[in-house]
Amino acid sequence: MKTLQFHYHMEIAFSEPVHSHIYTLKCLPQTGGAQRIEKCVYRITPGGRVQESTDSFGNRMLYGTAQEEHSLFLVDVTGTAVTGVQAPNMPQDTPDLSVYRYRTPLTQPGRRTRELLGHCRKRTADMSLRDKALVYMEAVHGSIQYGKGVTDINTTAEDALALGSGVCQDYSHILLALCREDRIPSRYVVGMMTGEGESHAWVEIYDGARWHGFDPTNNVPVEDAHIKISHGRDYRDCSINRGVFTGQAAQRQSILVEVTENGGTPA
Amino acid sequence: MEIELTRRAETVNELLARYGVKFGIYKNNEFKEQLFPFDTIPRIIRKDEFAYLEKGLKQRVMALNCFIRDIYGDKKIIRDKVVPEEFVYISSGYLASCDGVLPPRGIYAHIAGIDLVQGRNDKWYVLEDNLRVPSGASYPMIAREICRKSSPATFETYHVEDNRDYAKLLRWTMDYVNTGGHTVILTPGRYNAAYFEHSYFAEKTGAHLATGSELMVEDDYLYFVDYSGRREKVGAVYRRISDEYLDPMTFNEESVIGIPHIYDVYRKGHVALLNAPGNGVADDKGIYYFVPKMVRYYLGEEPILQNAPTYLPYYEEDMRYVLEHFDDLVLKDVAEAGGYGVVFADRMTAQQKEDFIALLKREPRRFIAQEVIDFKDIDIVENARRVPRKADLRAFVLMVDEPIVWKSGLTRFSRDPDSFIVNSSQGGGFKDTWVLSQ
Repeated sequence: MKTLQFHYHMEIAFSEPVHSHIYTLKCLPQTGGAQRIEKCVYRITPGGRVQESTDSFGNRMLYGTAQEEHSLFLVDVTGTAVTGVQAPNMPQDTPDLSVYRYRTPLTQPGRRTRELLGHCRKRTADMSLRDKALVYMEAVHGSIQYGKGVTDINTTAEDALALGSGVCQDYSHILLALCREDRIPSRYVVGMMTGEGESHAWVEIYDGARWHGFDPTNNVPVEDAHIKISHGRDYRDCSINRGVFTGQAAQRQSILVEVTENGGTPA
Repeated sequence: MEIELTRRAETVNELLARYGVKFGIYKNNEFKEQLFPFDTIPRIIRKDEFAYLEKGLKQRVMALNCFIRDIYGDKKIIRDKVVPEEFVYISSGYLASCDGVLPPRGIYAHIAGIDLVQGRNDKWYVLEDNLRVPSGASYPMIAREICRKSSPATFETYHVEDNRDYAKLLRWTMDYVNTGGHTVILTPGRYNAAYFEHSYFAEKTGAHLATGSELMVEDDYLYFVDYSGRREKVGAVYRRISDEYLDPMTFNEESVIGIPHIYDVYRKGHVALLNAPGNGVADDKGIYYFVPKMVRYYLGEEPILQNAPTYLPYYEEDMRYVLEHFDDLVLKDVAEAGGYGVVFADRMTAQQKEDFIALLKREPRRFIAQEVIDFKDIDIVENARRVPRKADLRAFVLMVDEPIVWKSGLTRFSRDPDSFIVNSSQGGGFKDTWVLSQ
């Protein structure tokens, strides 16, 4: 169990001023599973009047329209999270699992996914679901090289395997593709972790009683270094920011995440 | 039987052209608007026969609504293993973002277009349920109006149910779910295949015709912005754009014809959307197979209307049947619409057959197979001669406190004597549908 301070900072710099900037943000971590959010505040600049809602996966949404002209759009979320909580009274979401059992366009398997699954299956006969997930995670971790700029937000699991390179999103999609071929309920998670300066993605698998996190990028099960923000079937259900605006401008998004343990020093 | 009207065919078609009764089609990526050919010989349905269809259609649309509410709610039909869950979750019409969202008055399919055919044995079969954005009611509406003007004598001789009340029924359907505010018909614009219909309905119902850029969301309500910049709150949107383009903040991010945040407003119950997003889960060609089961499951009744005999290669037993009787069947790709992705096995070459069977074995969930129904032909006039052609009937069912079946419908025919495909997107024509009142 750890007490973590977090700060999520996103900024979009526009090359020219824009206006009527309509946004939806899924950027607020919630209490549930093995994490308890003790404090959480957000600031959106310029945000206009902010509305709140919950999507069909249970994620909190903030949305609104920044009417005035601006060249910079800033989102800051800060707070305190207690992670790795094993208390029996923690809220566990046991939603309709079926939606997490079937492939989506981004987790559609192809020849390479099936080959990888074939290798895994040789080792996982008679294993418990969690042990199986560990084998899958390790296989996914070794299946591609970590590298930025090779894949993008529309890269499928199969494409990432073909390219042999990717980021946390791609590792997660490949792991989801494997699990879903086995009809294991598995979901995409967006969050933050200690020692990582950007937002992160990993996978949760339902073992019949609760969800367990697996981080295929780092090849570690999720214990108390991760803070979850949202979950869904794949990246598209969880994008932290969606927006449209009026203006002829190029945009550059940058994200800065800082997660530190109470009393510890920033990593 | 000679109907006086058929001698006025030229006048009628001239008037239809003048009123702009057109249908847009895309060919080689180019948009072309063409007249929707009208044939003056009506399809005539006897009063008692229509009463039977009406009963069956009401029952079917009730069951379809129950199914959609269940899928985005309790999911009992899946738990009870009446419908296998993968048919639901892999269906392109299933939208996870609709889970747990109850639309105003719990209605998901407000305006349904049910496609039927009559076999040579006179028996009616449902071929397809269209719940998303079924089009076509405007064509028999305006055709009737023009026919009445061109040949008043015909309507003195025949006792035909007036079908010009569709606008009133549609308005009632929209008002029934309106959450307070104006009523809007949302069109993608004039390059849409059914733009004539969108503008005609707006004119006849008194609703605003708007494109996405004329609507906006502010503080969790939807507004119509007129040319002077004045805003009016909107309580109901009869949207004629598909789910994925409706709201770039929830669905396809690239959409420029939708309205950002309209779905969030709908989720909070601040506006009604007709038809409800996600209702396509019930008109998927794979789900079609299960509709008679839904009628039994939700209503505890025997289905009045039958499906065309359908096989799901997903079930081993059905796959065996399909492979054994391959040449007698029509195969449909569940992901396609508008007459695309439909193949008649007896028209394939040996190589095509081999390839298709391989594909079918690889992706059994993707196809359904149906017996080819020997449609009853209906006469049309071609080069001053009566010739028989294949025709179907799209019946319109509107959902208010209970379903209402419009006493008419769109009869489409294939102009090609060898074709069974009647879709207007494939160049077919249409007829008026007369329901006799006595």
